[in-house]
Amino acid sequence: MVRRNRFRRAVLSAAAVSALVLGIAACTSGGSGASSTASANVAAAGQPKDGGNLTFLIQEFPAGWVSSTSNISSYEGNLWGEITDKLVYVSNTGQISPWIATSWQTEDNATKFILHLKPGVTFSDGEPLNAAAVVDNITLWAKGDPSRGIAKVGLFPALYFENAVAVNNLTVQVNFSKPTLGFIPTLGYHGSILLAPKTLALSVNQQANLLNEIGSGPFVVKSYQTGVSYTLVRRADYNWGPPALGHTGPAYLNSITYKVVADESTREQAVVAGDAQADFNVTPSDIPSLEAQGFTVDTPRYLGFVDGFEVNAGVAPTNSLQVRQAIQHAINRTQILDTVYPKGWDLAESFIQSNVPEAQNDSALFNYDPALSDQLLTQAGWVLGSNGYRTKDGQTLDFNLIPNPYVPSTQQEDELIAQQFQKVGIKAQLKIIPLSDYATVETPPIPPLLSVSRSFIDFSTVGGVLTSLNHGENWFGVGTSDQTLDTLSQQIESASSTAQRNVLANQVQKYVLDEGYFIPIVQQVQRIYLIAPNVHGVTFNGVAYANFYTAWLS
Amino acid sequence: MTDIAVLVTDQLPGDAPGSWSRGRPYFVYALQRLGQAVVVILLAYVLSFVLITVLPGNAIATTLGNPQSGLSPAQVKNVESYYGVTKPVIVQLWLALSRFVRGQLGVSLVTHQTVSSLIGGALPYTLKLAGTALLVALILAAVIAYGSQYLPGKWARSVLRSAPSLFLSVPNFVIGLLLIHEFSFQLHLFDVLDPNSPVGTFFAALALAIPICAPLAEVLIANLDRESGQEYVLVARSRGLTQAKLFARHLVKPSMLPAVTIAALIVGELIGGAVITEEVFGRNGIGSVMYQAVSNQDTPVLQAIVALAAVVFVVVNLIADLVSPLLDPRVRLTAGGRREVATA
Amino acid sequence: MSIAIAPQPARRLSATVRGVFTGVPPTVLLSFVIVAIVVLWALFPGLFTSYSAVLGNPAAKFEAPSALHWFGTDDLGRDEFARVVYGAGASVGTALVAVGIGLFAGGLIGLLAGFLGGWVDAVLGRLVDTLLAIPGFLLAVVVVTGLGFNTLNAAIATGVSSVAIFARLMRAEVLKVRHSVFVESSYLQGGSRGFVLFRHVLPNAYRSVLALAVLQLGSAIIVIAALAFLGYGSPPPASDWGLLIANGQNFATAPWLVYGPAIVIVLTVLSINRISRWLRKTS
Repeated sequence: MVRRNRFRRAVLSAAAVSALVLGIAACTSGGSGASSTASANVAAAGQPKDGGNLTFLIQEFPAGWVSSTSNISSYEGNLWGEITDKLVYVSNTGQISPWIATSWQTEDNATKFILHLKPGVTFSDGEPLNAAAVVDNITLWAKGDPSRGIAKVGLFPALYFENAVAVNNLTVQVNFSKPTLGFIPTLGYHGSILLAPKTLALSVNQQANLLNEIGSGPFVVKSYQTGVSYTLVRRADYNWGPPALGHTGPAYLNSITYKVVADESTREQAVVAGDAQADFNVTPSDIPSLEAQGFTVDTPRYLGFVDGFEVNAGVAPTNSLQVRQAIQHAINRTQILDTVYPKGWDLAESFIQSNVPEAQNDSALFNYDPALSDQLLTQAGWVLGSNGYRTKDGQTLDFNLIPNPYVPSTQQEDELIAQQFQKVGIKAQLKIIPLSDYATVETPPIPPLLSVSRSFIDFSTVGGVLTSLNHGENWFGVGTSDQTLDTLSQQIESASSTAQRNVLANQVQKYVLDEGYFIPIVQQVQRIYLIAPNVHGVTFNGVAYANFYTAWLS
Repeated sequence: MTDIAVLVTDQLPGDAPGSWSRGRPYFVYALQRLGQAVVVILLAYVLSFVLITVLPGNAIATTLGNPQSGLSPAQVKNVESYYGVTKPVIVQLWLALSRFVRGQLGVSLVTHQTVSSLIGGALPYTLKLAGTALLVALILAAVIAYGSQYLPGKWARSVLRSAPSLFLSVPNFVIGLLLIHEFSFQLHLFDVLDPNSPVGTFFAALALAIPICAPLAEVLIANLDRESGQEYVLVARSRGLTQAKLFARHLVKPSMLPAVTIAALIVGELIGGAVITEEVFGRNGIGSVMYQAVSNQDTPVLQAIVALAAVVFVVVNLIADLVSPLLDPRVRLTAGGRREVATA
Repeated sequence: MSIAIAPQPARRLSATVRGVFTGVPPTVLLSFVIVAIVVLWALFPGLFTSYSAVLGNPAAKFEAPSALHWFGTDDLGRDEFARVVYGAGASVGTALVAVGIGLFAGGLIGLLAGFLGGWVDAVLGRLVDTLLAIPGFLLAVVVVTGLGFNTLNAAIATGVSSVAIFARLMRAEVLKVRHSVFVESSYLQGGSRGFVLFRHVLPNAYRSVLALAVLQLGSAIIVIAALAFLGYGSPPPASDWGLLIANGQNFATAPWLVYGPAIVIVLTVLSINRISRWLRKTS
């Protein structure tokens, strides 16, 4: 019954890869610290060897190959990252470093940006990646083209975008009408992939063919069979890798083959048996046994919000501060961590992930304290009834917990939270909304508790979700009624220096958690990678995608 | 008795008296059946469209509504209008239907690939599975039927007789999981990573074939029971014909008609079962395409699959209807659409 | 094909009942017992288990079957046997809904087609052909996609896809009776259509329709389990048998999570099929 591989892989190789991952995870802020750690770890595992094919097993590629639709997909994003480049590189600790843009200037109070491009970069069809091409890309990211059915890149700070201009063949100037500090980091976001102008001009139906998507990345699509396998081969003339990774020449691997295998245990088994070298998304509960067999399971953390609930403070019963705070203290996050995520996850410390530079540890504000919850709820007038649930004015304190279909483990989380709520007299049940209907849940009226799974590349995104000012997403249902939030939101979005913004970041984290607007649970891991021990040099970027550009097989 | 067997064996002789249907010439019958087939296909398309578009939401909103995308509902709506998903249902149905009769199946609302290329890429795998399953089912049914008549020992024969009922009691996904567990994980006869290998395909076909052979086996058994009581068989046996020869020469041919009838009806179960079997064995094919389309409410793809299944079923049954009068002259060509045997 | 001789007038009910209780094979008795147990599970789940199907003890997860937990525990420490017992209502109860829909809607269509004939028969015939042309399972998936994913809707979907079979059978039975000699004489004697329907058609038809209904019950349980397996039934923490199997499939180290519900499904459907076979024999 137990499918275990009998061969034990060399612990040394596993340790080397683990060391690499730990090294990157432990990276602290400080300029070029990231690059030296990365290259040091690559060297520690031995000299990179050229050649070989890496087989990567993935559940599906559901969203297709129209870049504006699928570049932010957890699945397709893996492939996109190998065949395209970005203007800047953002590490998993939020450090921004040059890539296709070798340097940049921020001028006029962060309303004007000048990008200097690396010379000699070409797309895989030979066309140059010059300023004109970059202007085409940026314009499409900012505005999309609804008349052709192309959406803009959601996270692109388009609010004050004016235009992008090619000053000369290798210089681009981007103009905003108000300070937009988040612009440069967004250039490293997985939605900001550089594609050939020829590709961008294609119709949506033509873009559906992956072979028509021309990028400048270290790999090129050789052939593919929808739903079966996708083969990438390296570009021999690739010479413009991100210096932060410690390698700028062609990729070491000869080719990467993505194979679609729907069943999770099959994928795991295949890697354990040596038929494949990497697997995407394993069940968290399998991680201990896989690691015991010498395999590495990476749980990269993206920059963004933690896994938790946004609370609608504009509807009952969560329009009461005491109820919100009671919920904060009623959740036993340690139990959730131990039951659902045996290894590789961490407790949330704030409502943003701890690898975001602006993050701080405010976990004392939401510690597990059911006695406090009881007290708060009773104070708020919710009286414990004979059936074990609290009522007030004839209403039961009742919540629907809606698991996030984009994060499967939230289902188990919610089942546990429902049990924990019961202990303090809150009634809760799961309400499963399938993927196809989930968009309707996110349109107002938003439920009192809604699961969040959002990455961001720059802290200014936080300013855009707090209120409804400036087309804000109004996550907490307060509109513009919360003065403190209004002020913070405006100041964050229009900050013109990171020092200024850091102060605001401290304030906003404390305030949001104090007010119970966001209920953090655990730090979000959206993508899990099972890596075989003979694979070295896998790196992870700020949006938690694995990068096989620097990988090699021993 | 399975429900399909019931359908076939409970057919009545004769139609309403005075109706215009008795004993028409063959070509009139053929034309009528063809006309009915076309009507049914169109109706199936309309029915599936109505059923699918009942829910609010659409595939564009689903894909772009990924919280990771950070797009606001207004921005999503902007893009939706290009794809026509916000038009009234009647208009959408009309557009889809007029494209369908011209052979255009539309474009997936998720991947923006043409539906025909999507289905065309997946269909060969499903055909391979279904074809193999049909073959295995026919062989299994023949073996069971033969054994039910001629296996020595009353106990063995009655076990075989109740085999079809047992086959229908186990869900085919459970059979599939069992086969994978035993023959792939334990005995390593095939690799689940490469489900399209010959051995892998055989086991998937076996899982699919087991519930499907049941009605076929039952009808064959019922026919054999009946035919072997006939006089001409007793005469042949008294003349010393061996069992095998008896079976082959005298019993198979009259059983062909109900077998053809059932096989045509089974096609529906085959297609439906293939969807689950492909899921369980991790095979690529129409099943996985459908699964994706349901999850994203990708209406053009779902419709095309349902229409395709209906077309296959209708065509196969049409062929069976046109062929059976030639197989058994006792069949009377009636308007009811099913082959019926005249009373003695 | 069965060769129909003029159908007999309906047997008296008392004779039927007497016939039922004498000479019932032991396997059929066993089948009745199993079905009765499952029905009791559906109606009074609390009588059969003291564990909750929803709340578990996370510290006791993945325990193998033992005297304490007959089917072991799942990934959240819930007792699997309790989950199966509480899931009987959804898995079997909704199957009754499915058969009810098929029987009622299909029976009505078949009656109308058989009785009224003519263009009504032609139109209804095409409708039934359409329902038959779309493979039952695909039709069920489409219907449940339109209605929303929960087990009741899955049952409705299953019912819709079985309407065709009931319609066909009912129509065949009606026509069989309508053209028999004694019915024609009944008309001649001044009997109305309603009289013929209730006195002659239904009593003769009910036995084979009942046998089909029981058969369809078994098949409905399997289709609903398959829909739940694919995720189209009620979501967790509901415990439909198909969903339990789908969930258990993820945990290779705990095969009892698959075998427990699977065995229950097989035994239930096998019993139902046995009963149906016996009903056909005695009709």
